[in-house]
Amino acid sequence: MNTIKSNFKTMKINFLNLNTMEATKFFFSALVCLSILASCSDDDDTIPPPPNEEEVITDVTLTFTNDADANDTVELKSVDPDGEDGPLSPTVTVMGNFTAGATYSAVVEVYNSIEDEDITPEITDEEPDEHFFIYAINGLDMTFSRANNDIVRMDGNKLGYRTSWVANTTGTGSITIRLFHESETVDDSNEFGTQTGGSTDIDITFMNVNIQ
Amino acid sequence: MKYYFVCLMVFVFGFHQAQNCSYTLIGEIKDFHDGTPITAANIYLKEQDRYVISDFDGKFKIEDLCNGTITLVISHVGCETKTVSIAINGDVFKSIDLEHHIEELNEVSVKSKQKKTTLTAQESVLKSDILKRYTNRSLGDALKEVAGVSSINTGNSIVKPMINGLHSSRILILNNNVRLQDQEWGVEHAPNIDINSADQISVIKGAGALAFGGDAIGGVIVINPERSIRKDTLFGQTTINGQSNGRGYSLTSSLHKNYESGWFAKFQGTIKQNGDFKAADYYLTNTGTKSKSFNVKAGKKTFESGFELFYSYLNNEIGILSSSHVGNINDLLAAIKSPRPAITRDFGYDIINPRQDVTHHLLKASYFKRFKNFGKVNLQYDYQSNNRLEFDIRRGERNNEAALDLLLQTHTFLADVNLDANLERKFNFGILARYQDNYAPDTGIRRLIPNYEKYDLGAYVTTEWRLNDAVMVDAGFRYDFSRVDALKYYQISRWEERGYDDDFANFIIPAQDGQNFGANYLTNPRFDFHNLSGSIGAKYQFNDNSYLLANYSLSTRPPNPAELFSDGLHHSAARIELGDLRLDSELSNRFSLTYDHKTSNFNVVVDAFFNAIGKYMYLKPISVQQSNRGSYPVWEYQQTDAKLFGADLTASYQFVDHWKWQNKTSLIKGYDDNDLPLINMPAFNTLNKIEYSQAKWYNFLASIQSEWVFEQNEFPDFNFSVENPTTGETEILDISTPPPAYNLFHFYSEATFGVSKKTKLNIAFGINNIFNTSYRNYLNRLRYFADDLGRNITLQLKLNY
Repeated sequence: MNTIKSNFKTMKINFLNLNTMEATKFFFSALVCLSILASCSDDDDTIPPPPNEEEVITDVTLTFTNDADANDTVELKSVDPDGEDGPLSPTVTVMGNFTAGATYSAVVEVYNSIEDEDITPEITDEEPDEHFFIYAINGLDMTFSRANNDIVRMDGNKLGYRTSWVANTTGTGSITIRLFHESETVDDSNEFGTQTGGSTDIDITFMNVNIQ
Repeated sequence: MKYYFVCLMVFVFGFHQAQNCSYTLIGEIKDFHDGTPITAANIYLKEQDRYVISDFDGKFKIEDLCNGTITLVISHVGCETKTVSIAINGDVFKSIDLEHHIEELNEVSVKSKQKKTTLTAQESVLKSDILKRYTNRSLGDALKEVAGVSSINTGNSIVKPMINGLHSSRILILNNNVRLQDQEWGVEHAPNIDINSADQISVIKGAGALAFGGDAIGGVIVINPERSIRKDTLFGQTTINGQSNGRGYSLTSSLHKNYESGWFAKFQGTIKQNGDFKAADYYLTNTGTKSKSFNVKAGKKTFESGFELFYSYLNNEIGILSSSHVGNINDLLAAIKSPRPAITRDFGYDIINPRQDVTHHLLKASYFKRFKNFGKVNLQYDYQSNNRLEFDIRRGERNNEAALDLLLQTHTFLADVNLDANLERKFNFGILARYQDNYAPDTGIRRLIPNYEKYDLGAYVTTEWRLNDAVMVDAGFRYDFSRVDALKYYQISRWEERGYDDDFANFIIPAQDGQNFGANYLTNPRFDFHNLSGSIGAKYQFNDNSYLLANYSLSTRPPNPAELFSDGLHHSAARIELGDLRLDSELSNRFSLTYDHKTSNFNVVVDAFFNAIGKYMYLKPISVQQSNRGSYPVWEYQQTDAKLFGADLTASYQFVDHWKWQNKTSLIKGYDDNDLPLINMPAFNTLNKIEYSQAKWYNFLASIQSEWVFEQNEFPDFNFSVENPTTGETEILDISTPPPAYNLFHFYSEATFGVSKKTKLNIAFGINNIFNTSYRNYLNRLRYFADDLGRNITLQLKLNY
């Protein structure tokens, strides 16, 4: 009896006597296993939270107040309700006219209406050293300077958040405000400010600004 | 029946005498593969040190045996030598199977011979002697060794392979038989592969390899680790590399343990780091990288069956050139006009924002069994997890939070049957089932790619026929079903601007009680794609020295998540990219011809192709959009009927002993349906190399190479005018014109020394860009901002033990 067993053993080691039929059966049972496994994936559609657009700047307001008359104000405002990703173009408005000969103090307000969040303190209080405002004038006779009470960065440059504008003679033109983030160098010594290497956070040109 | 016969024989003769040395063993040697008898096999009886030879019917006879166990060692040309123990207890009949076709079945790796995966496709194989030169670089860099393969880069560390002008989703990458699922749709998403884990890489141009997928319109990259050998052995290798540019280092090590029984285990790991790279004249600030990876493999493999467990981990942290972060078109204009990047600081290893941090896990379990007179059945399950974090320059605390966070998980089941009992008519068929889930948590920024689930089912049949000694043909057919089921928030303004309110109103999920989606629609876009692909080809062997391959393949690719759903601002490009829900699958008809001629000192391979891609998806600028941040061009995914054609040449000529000249040249043209050039087509390039090798001097080898890349003179004009905010003047923003031609020279040398009997040390020294030439590459997305790499000196020590 022992002989028979040992012969069987050696033979089995050396070949698998499976015919084509059995191989096919093996394959199809494998297929069935697979389809069962594949179909048991979870299908519960959990609703993702709505996008929370913390970085977006929807409203930028530049408010000028006549140093001699608090009722004489000019407001430059740009509103882009769907932010930089959305297809809507910003609505840019100029409210009020400058009075020739008057000196105005201006402040900037930056707001995110999607998240209902005032972004101004993030720039002025939290990270003034990483930001820098630059202005530009075209066609207007104005004298620009960074205000004495402007926020001063660690490197001694004024941020450009509070500014002073003298409306010299009458005329029509445009005012541009730009905010740069993480500039490599900034310089407030020339009139409107210069920078290198930063990326633009705000870039708006207000057309049809009048000095009367 | 045979069992009973043997049993009977044993039964009849088994009870004769107790100790008698007159028994006879009758044996029969057959081919495992197809059952045919094996003639003239050498049978060595170990105990008695004598030989017999099998006869014409595969039979042999050994007489005068005593009871007990005998050992036979059976060998035959082209077969794996087999040792069997047989218990002799009386006269015995024994049938023994040998495998006569190990080579054809790709079961042995024949050194100095390249193992191709396809028969009639345009395939090139890179082996470890070439791959080891790229140990500190990326997959995309190494693949450029193949004529016709270029790369589309984002800086120097994010290198995506490009085959005949096509990249990203049009190229399929297989790592150890697992299709890489790593958000490959993105141009700035490099393949998550450690080049050091590869022993051999095949580049297949076009979609000829249908078993891997039907959507490889550009091609397939097959990365294989080394085969396990059935031998009791322990070996390993360690490579240390240092480079001057970026002051980088890499350390990679592997250890293999194999047993004759077929068990095997392997470990391989790599760490790499570099600091800021340097262009010819300045440091490229924030281009450091850190990479760690390892993989483990274990299993058992014999000729008849085997299984394998494989796990790999990879983490890459990549800094993105600081100067490339731009806020709007004006920043981009300033960057393009400036001859130097605005930010060039001193060298450093620190990686700051913007940066990427990507982690990829891959787990695979596979099993195969070979059936007599039938073929081989493979089953495989794999799981991949890809977590992509992209950090941008953000305000305040958010700077430490990823702006983009995607977790892509993929499960794949694969069953594959290889009918190779008849080597003249091989068949291969299989099925695939895949489930994929992409999860994008809230990052405080609109999701670039939404949450989605994707289901794929595929089935394929391929066949190879040997018609006669000169002609072989192959053909294949494949069907793929895929479903994309996404949940995406669209801004209502964007939804309406796209006109989706007319076409896809049914996708909108109304807000339930307590839900507030703000100015967004929550939508559930769901698309089904049914795709067919096929290929047919022939190989004609003129003579021993030359052959011709002809192949036609049809492949279909459904739109990827970026093409469907992209919806937002890309800071590095200062542009808005918009997907389109209306996109349809693209369809490629590719014709190729290859001529290969080889003599002892001359070898030339010419690959020519024509690829007509219907509904080719590409990004095109359509308008300029205003925001409080300034203006951006809007690029939209569109479809066109594209034609691509070209030829790649590889030649080598040994003109005198030890001296060899090599050339690789490729030319490609691509046009849309208005015969306008396609964007980002590689320029004409030609590589010439003179190599000196002397085996007597410790296998010394040295080469000088010229890499000459022409200026791309065919490109679409996507320039537009921008108003300079300071001066108020209008200027042209030139984002289209390719940079000028360049010619770089590289030096490479190596030698191998025997340290001990089993230990060898290979030392390699190289200089890339010897003359520190300043240049920019058309296919580098950061070419607007900075020059490409300057001189780089590398030293590498590789120890085999």
